[in-house]
Amino acid sequence: MSAKNTGNIAQGLAAATCSLLGTAATLPVLAQEQPEWEFDTALLYYGEDGGRVQDLSLNLLARRLFADDRILSVGLAVDSLTGATPSGAVPQDELQTFTRPSGESTYQVAAGEMPLDDTFLDTRYALTASWRQPLGRDYAGTAGLSFSTEYDYTHVGANFALSRDFNKRNTTVSLGLALARDELDPEGGAPLPLGFMSDVRDLSERGGTENKDVVDLLLGVTQAVNENLLVQLNYSLSDGTGYLNDPYKILSVVDPLSGDAILRTPAPGAAGPLHQYRFESRPDKRTKHSLFGQGKYFMGGKVLDMSYRYMTDDWGIDSHTLETKLNLPLGDTSYIEPHLRFYTQSEADFYRASLVDGEPLPQFASADYRLGSFDAITAGLKYGWRTSSGKDFAVRLEYYRQDGEIPTHQLIGSHDQSSLYPDLDAVILNFSFGFGM
Amino acid sequence: MAAAARQTSPSVTRRQDHWCGDFVAMASPCQILSKSDRATARKQLEQAAAEAGRVEAKYSRYRRGNIVDRINSANGSPVLLDEETANLIDFAATLHRLSDGRFDITSGVLREVWIFDGSDRVPEEGQVRAVLERVGWPKAVWESPVLTLAPGMQIDFGGIGKEYAVDRAAALAASLSDAPCLVNFGGDIAAVGAVSGGPWRVGIEALGAGSGEAFKRIRLQQGGLATSGDARRFLLKNGVRYSHLLNPQTGWPVVDAPRSVTVAAHTCTQAGMLSTLAMLMGADAEEFLERQGVRSWCIR
Repeated sequence: MSAKNTGNIAQGLAAATCSLLGTAATLPVLAQEQPEWEFDTALLYYGEDGGRVQDLSLNLLARRLFADDRILSVGLAVDSLTGATPSGAVPQDELQTFTRPSGESTYQVAAGEMPLDDTFLDTRYALTASWRQPLGRDYAGTAGLSFSTEYDYTHVGANFALSRDFNKRNTTVSLGLALARDELDPEGGAPLPLGFMSDVRDLSERGGTENKDVVDLLLGVTQAVNENLLVQLNYSLSDGTGYLNDPYKILSVVDPLSGDAILRTPAPGAAGPLHQYRFESRPDKRTKHSLFGQGKYFMGGKVLDMSYRYMTDDWGIDSHTLETKLNLPLGDTSYIEPHLRFYTQSEADFYRASLVDGEPLPQFASADYRLGSFDAITAGLKYGWRTSSGKDFAVRLEYYRQDGEIPTHQLIGSHDQSSLYPDLDAVILNFSFGFGM
Repeated sequence: MAAAARQTSPSVTRRQDHWCGDFVAMASPCQILSKSDRATARKQLEQAAAEAGRVEAKYSRYRRGNIVDRINSANGSPVLLDEETANLIDFAATLHRLSDGRFDITSGVLREVWIFDGSDRVPEEGQVRAVLERVGWPKAVWESPVLTLAPGMQIDFGGIGKEYAVDRAAALAASLSDAPCLVNFGGDIAAVGAVSGGPWRVGIEALGAGSGEAFKRIRLQQGGLATSGDARRFLLKNGVRYSHLLNPQTGWPVVDAPRSVTVAAHTCTQAGMLSTLAMLMGADAEEFLERQGVRSWCIR
């Protein structure tokens, strides 16, 4: 007997089913095979005002789903940074000359201008890979590797995580460990801590390649409190050792009364700075503790996500982050999500706007604005939609503002709060696209 | 099994964006996933478990005293059927006609000689011929609502009951809430309710295949999904694998059937019938499914 005898029976079957169940099925069948690969792609633009940092980054995450919830993830990111960041030097009423980090030439900053290191230009490539799988009935394990490289910096890392479900999967406890080794190889060698910025081609204050090791530990609990509330609590410990300086950050050496930078004279015939600057010096160890709490509240399709993070480290920096997002569905296929984030941090114990001439040299000092005291606010809106073929699009626009403050006793003579730590405004624009294949 | 289905008030637990409740019925793990609120999800679960228990009690051929038992032990006497059972018999009769006799609710007695326990005990030709005398829907007299089987004949709703129960439970769930709800009775599935949020992700495994390749993930948002397979039920003799799917016209197993056939259709019942019929088509399973214009996945 051949199948040819049995033609299309679908219609007859539909009619028979209809009278059996007493209903007419008129809605379309919406079923499709889940793609083997899922891709998430994103293009991010971050732009600071005043000719400072511009970052364009492209991110690609591919996930392969296997049977039994085993997942392979592979990520690739390309970052292109251009622009300039404050070098840490104090603005002066006269022209300032700086030796480039390469030690090959000089650049100048006009009188009254914020000294920016304009050689900040880099392309970073990052690769990540991870494997996740259930271990027995209640456990899941993840192991991953990360690698990134840019002009003067190489990162290699490994991470592991183990989670266990309790209480009918209403509680999940997870434990994570990440190890990283970073290698810095700045052009011209990593500067010696508190070494003077010297003339072009004078590398006497420069060292060689430096390393940094970071160990991160994470302990987390996720709890479904009731039908609408999901709560997460994490504690993490981060321990960094090695060369923790930013090799491009400097401090001006200033007069204790006027606040003006102390003059220097380049060697005969050499080009070099006309004022004294020293490279920063940070401790070679940093331990951070952070506590993170998050609540997700589901309200009939809407989701309110609120989180708070407290971080404290042995450099004296304490920070608080309060963040909230509200996901509002617009019909069945799109949503809008306002986002608000507040951040505040205290300065590091060794943060100082400048070094004072004649005072004993401190062991540690940095004028890096990121180690100073500042508040920041991020406000934005995301709009996302899903096409009928299951592709996800989203666009997010955010505004970021940072207000820094230098302790008043560090302002000397002519120093002015707003020109030493200028406000920063930035715009973030993100396009994302997710699809399966 | 019905005892398990009737156990103390079932509870639902929170998953990412939905409620999940489990119970056991028809010898299968059963599940209700609902994006409704907790109270409604619990009601959907209770009603689904009750409906599964009811269909099982009424149509299981292993139960004494139910309508199937009365039909099978009538010994040639006519039996008056209730409306629901008459509808199921009508459905089976239509399927027999549509499938050119491949689908036959009277074929169950062949299991007296075919015992699919993984052994090599293939019956003798004569044994099969003898049992085949008592097989064949045309030998039954069906004048709704009265069914008369020849003495020794039996019927079996094994190929319909579970899918029917899924669609019944899904309809009950839909009557309680417009929110998306998925009913899953041992791999026979129906998704009802609003098409909002993401689709349900359903994993399908070819039983006995045991390799990652024989695995499909389906995203189901609306409609029914059913899988037929030759599971662990087969005989193996002289290197020949005898599938548990029997051709009611020859009394012998279907040759070259896929290991597993999954079909997506408007209802779980339609999906179940199409996947069963595809298996009965043996080597022509894929061709048959192609002609039906449905989404299907075969594993060989």
